[in-house]
Amino acid sequence: MTALDLINGLTQAIFVLIFLLVFVRTLRHTTPAHIDMSLFFGILAFVVAESRISGFLGVTPPVWFTDVLVALIVALPYVLLRLVDDFTRVPVLLKRGAELFLIILVAAYAYDSLVTPPVDPPIILAVVAYLAGLFFYCGAAFIAASRKAEGVTRRRMQGISLGTILFGLDILMSGIGGVMPEPDKTFLTATGQILGLASGVAFYLGFAPPSFLRRAWQAPELRNFLARAAELPRLPDTLDIVRELERGAAGATGSNARVALWDEDTKVLRMWREGGEAVEVMPGRFIAGRAFELQRTVFTTDPSKEDPADAESYRRSRAGAVMSTPITAGGRRLGVLSLFAERPPIFAQSDMELAQLLADQAAVILESRALIDHAARMKAQEEAMRLKEDFVSAAAHDLKTPLTTVVAQAEFLERKALRDPSSPADLQGLQRIVREGKRLAALVTDLLDAARLEQGRLTAEREPVDLGTLVSEVVARQQPAAHATDVDVRGAVVGVYDRRRIEQLVENLVENAKKYSPEATPVQVTVWQQDGEARVSVRDHGIGIPPTDLPKIFERFSRASNVDDRRFHGMGLGLYICRGIVEEHGGRIWAESEIGKGSTFHVALPLQDGRRLN
Amino acid sequence: MLEFWAGHGDGGTQSGDSNVTMGKGGERAHSRVLVVDDDSSILDTVTAILSGEGYLVMAAGGGKEALALVRSWHPTLVLLDMRMPVMDGWAVARALHEAGSRVPIIVMTAAESARRWADEIGAAGHLAKPFSLDELIQCVEKFSADERKN
Repeated sequence: MTALDLINGLTQAIFVLIFLLVFVRTLRHTTPAHIDMSLFFGILAFVVAESRISGFLGVTPPVWFTDVLVALIVALPYVLLRLVDDFTRVPVLLKRGAELFLIILVAAYAYDSLVTPPVDPPIILAVVAYLAGLFFYCGAAFIAASRKAEGVTRRRMQGISLGTILFGLDILMSGIGGVMPEPDKTFLTATGQILGLASGVAFYLGFAPPSFLRRAWQAPELRNFLARAAELPRLPDTLDIVRELERGAAGATGSNARVALWDEDTKVLRMWREGGEAVEVMPGRFIAGRAFELQRTVFTTDPSKEDPADAESYRRSRAGAVMSTPITAGGRRLGVLSLFAERPPIFAQSDMELAQLLADQAAVILESRALIDHAARMKAQEEAMRLKEDFVSAAAHDLKTPLTTVVAQAEFLERKALRDPSSPADLQGLQRIVREGKRLAALVTDLLDAARLEQGRLTAEREPVDLGTLVSEVVARQQPAAHATDVDVRGAVVGVYDRRRIEQLVENLVENAKKYSPEATPVQVTVWQQDGEARVSVRDHGIGIPPTDLPKIFERFSRASNVDDRRFHGMGLGLYICRGIVEEHGGRIWAESEIGKGSTFHVALPLQDGRRLN
Repeated sequence: MLEFWAGHGDGGTQSGDSNVTMGKGGERAHSRVLVVDDDSSILDTVTAILSGEGYLVMAAGGGKEALALVRSWHPTLVLLDMRMPVMDGWAVARALHEAGSRVPIIVMTAAESARRWADEIGAAGHLAKPFSLDELIQCVEKFSADERKN
């Protein structure tokens, strides 16, 4: 025996050992995929071992034995086709056709070799065509599957594709070698043998990768997912977090993933379909619900048998294997992570650990999210509280200011009258009391309106109102004034409104326009109808509103920062009430402004009764 | 906004052309009271009342005017409103402190926290709005008397 022979023999022995290992390992499971795998690797081991052993012993096996070997080799691509079917879908007709053709071929070959030897070339040709055809199909199917898959599944499919291609080449070499003269014959046969062994290894890595390789293939996707994990709790929407978790889990396991979240209030698990539609699952229902109830991982390669009640649902969603792991954070049940594969062999038993790791990571992310939400809620509550306190203290402050003048001034007048009853009336002092008393009354009215607005009942009885007439009347009441107010009514605009409140709205807007404009600048009020809405605009040539203040001016106690409080009294409730009136009518109010040039306030009201339903 | 007021003892009528007139309480005329408030009605009322009581009174409508008057007029007492636009009471008190002024301040505010704010700025006392005529007069009298003793 030469050294080359020895190396050859040892290498082949190692391969046979690997194939036998897979054969034994897969034999322990009874799923169709495992049976196919044991068949495939068993045949490979047997064929390689046989050629070695008979070569070593120097015996020529009987013809029937060679025929059995040929039958097994011819059956190999058929078993491969079955494996393709385990990993991806193969048309039923093709499967049945391959079976039928296999039987015919083997029978014809056996008959020819046993009864009328040697075997006729057409039969050999048919065998080669059968082998090549099936290999071509299997290779193409696996390549297609690998392109669709991701993560570890993609790597496995690539391994299998490579194995199929190498095996095809092996058959080609051996076939050509058979009809070639020496020394090409030996060269081609030897090359074919090496290709065959390489394809065996590729098949091994693809079909039954050892755990360490699985881990290594899962690592990049897992790392990507973990690297992104820290940002996930800050995503704006819980559904976004769920989608990211699903994407990460799917990538790391090479399957499909669904995250269901436990709703403590309604006691249901909620998951979201692709379109975002929520589906509710009772605990105990489906495999996800069972994993949640049992609080442990449930793995099945036959969901229809595991959960017969929902068999139809699994068939419809083509879930051939399901692995569900509860998502739990320190005893708090948060939900379930479910991994689905259309084909069972996508998962290995060892993936349960990975699923657990992913579920734990999901728990951390969801728990962080809950904490962030909680903190935000607390902050909002505090903010609401502070606003309430602000409202009370601001209201008290603003009421006390005119009250100070009224009380002190009245007492002062009283004292003077008591000391010297004949003294002339202090007209300035009296005017001060009247002015501040009126200011007090206006503030109280505004405060009451604001309080009614908070309760959403600022407006009352609705009646048909001619806006043009209403605006003209309001403006006429306010004339004469330092500002010329021009009213432009473009056609009759009649809507169903609370007349008193709409008057108040127009009054406020026109008064504001005058208040914040230099004397003698005109104010333009326009009433028209546009796009089925009543429109009113009030335009001034005043100080304008800074762009940064513009979004806030309709808020409570908001005053533009360029407003001099000493010249313009007010609580900052006027525009807030205006907005309330408009919105209770189902309309909109907004402002455009340019500093130093003026502002235009726009109101759009529905023509029908646009009462907001509370 | 800077106005001069004169007390005539019998009334708080405005007299823009005469600077300071002595009231009936001759001693009080040595007390110069500066009233600072952004609300003109309060400013007018307090000035009229204190002038009527015989104090020399000046009014400032804001923090900056107040600081200018402290420098030029040397009041013996400042009645200070806290919430004012542009320069508020805290800023006035800080500026006075930094300038080394030791004029006593009475905080005058409509907020609940009058006492706390008075402590914050090291004020001599506080007047919570709305105050009565007697509260105002007694408070000013008390601190003016203290000032005279020193």
